[in-house]
Amino acid sequence: MIRYIARRLLLAVPTLAGIVVIVFLLLHLAPGSPVTAAGGESGRRISGRAAEEMRRLYGLDRPLPERFGKWILRVVRLDLGESFVDRRRVSDRILEALPYTLTLNGLALLLTLLIAIPLGVEAGGRPESAFDRISGAALFALYSTPSFWAALLLQTLFSVKLRWLPLYGVASDPEPSGLAGFADRISHLALPVVCLTYGSLAFYARMVRAGVAEARNADYVLAARARGLSRREALWKHAFRNALLPLVTLLGLVLPGLLSGSVIIERIFAWPGLGRLYFDSILSRDYPVVLALSLVGAVATLAVTLAADVAYAVADPRVRDGTAE
Amino acid sequence: MRTLRRLPGSGKAALAIVLLLWIVAAFSPAVSRAASDIRLENRLLPPSSSHPFGTDDLGRDLLARVVAATPISLAIGLTAAAVSLLLGFTIGGISGYFGGATDLLLSRFVEVVLCFPVLFLLLALAAFLPPSPAAVILAIGLTTWPGDARYARAEILRAKSLDYTRAAKAAGASTARILVRHLLPNVFAPLLVSAAFGVAWAILAEAALSFLGVGLPAPASSWGGILSAAPAYIEEAWWIALFPGLALFLTVSAYNLLAEGLRRATTERSGYR
Repeated sequence: MIRYIARRLLLAVPTLAGIVVIVFLLLHLAPGSPVTAAGGESGRRISGRAAEEMRRLYGLDRPLPERFGKWILRVVRLDLGESFVDRRRVSDRILEALPYTLTLNGLALLLTLLIAIPLGVEAGGRPESAFDRISGAALFALYSTPSFWAALLLQTLFSVKLRWLPLYGVASDPEPSGLAGFADRISHLALPVVCLTYGSLAFYARMVRAGVAEARNADYVLAARARGLSRREALWKHAFRNALLPLVTLLGLVLPGLLSGSVIIERIFAWPGLGRLYFDSILSRDYPVVLALSLVGAVATLAVTLAADVAYAVADPRVRDGTAE
Repeated sequence: MRTLRRLPGSGKAALAIVLLLWIVAAFSPAVSRAASDIRLENRLLPPSSSHPFGTDDLGRDLLARVVAATPISLAIGLTAAAVSLLLGFTIGGISGYFGGATDLLLSRFVEVVLCFPVLFLLLALAAFLPPSPAAVILAIGLTTWPGDARYARAEILRAKSLDYTRAAKAAGASTARILVRHLLPNVFAPLLVSAAFGVAWAILAEAALSFLGVGLPAPASSWGGILSAAPAYIEEAWWIALFPGLALFLTVSAYNLLAEGLRRATTERSGYR
């Protein structure tokens, strides 16, 4: 067990190194030096002293390997630098936006699982049945619907025509109080959460369906039926439980997908989360923020994948013994 | 050809829609004048018999604009998917065929790129490269190849373990001969499936970039570019959001459906699920 975890951690080291290198290269791919870009492209003038300070901060007068070394040392100390836009610490700006993105994506993920699992188990329990075909076609259509288009249509219907929900924003009242304030927050969350949910819904439901459809005819499910369990019980308690394990490892892949979705959805709904921070930073060439967010996003994905793999190994001894497949 | 005949009904319908879209694209120069005809007195007109899709904020006919954007969206989707496939199948193929240290190294690389949120990389590339159609194509290709590489690696590994490949190797066939005569025909079908899914994704990615304002530079406008005006007029002109998005949805679902059909047709033939 410990050997498996150690090996898995060891394998993550080169991946982590690769992530850091790619992020570093991303900065140097940018046209001009970050210093001129920060002043010129966004129309802001940078004073000679500030430019000098920035050049020193990034060590742009030093050769590439030395720059890389210095940058690594700062990243290891969790020093992500200062934003070009407002001179505040990048880590502060990220921590400010994080709760908004967590709320949005957490709710979206919860909703996705709550719908995808029953849907997938029902469809997988009876492959090629009417329910399977209809739900499959509906999910397929959702999967092909661009999220920004869905967002615009939902806004038109629910905000402009019906006037049920607000167009965008976090809350109508900046200091919400009591039940009304809570309801107001929820009404602002409704559309962005729906838009983030429906795309991953198709992906998850298909995975659950495939797992259950395959486990459905396994001996232990037939044995459960023979012992007198109802079809539903056999599916949920036996087939689904076994199909669940591979799904855990897929959770690691959800994170980059959700962050990607956040960029578009947070922009349309003026939601002050990480996605919008990233997009705004790209437009204003705020390189320290762009780099920090790329690094944080990739490292978080790696960490979640790692945790999922370890959880899988804890739950399934065949994985850690290397006897699976 | 045999693959096409084996397509399920939905796949044949999807193929028909894809062909129709390309025909529309071929004839789209006919409306290019109407698409760029600015008439401010006609601005934001709702759909009517003279403007079936309504008009945009500059009084241009929206139907003409959607038709004129068809070749742009389709061509960018196709070329970006081709770049991604070429990169992905080369890297994944090498990784799967040679195995060992090469495989370990390349697989790590794929894993690294997959850790990044796709849209983060896509936006950074699209915004940092000088704006041009080539930049959009490159940005999409450079960010989506890891998926193709994983797929290609698995397919090569499967084809490599087939009896006749092993027989050819035992008979002393050269690496080049095995690759060209035995492995390539076997990964052709998966390549086709991957290509169809890739085009759907690339069209979507281009639309997202253009919608966010970092896609194609003006005056070229794709469906995503037309849609980018929609949020500003959401209160008064729903048609700017509806019709270009509908074209996008139709195209993306047609390619996805075609890919799904191709997958079924080819996997049934080669006898595994």
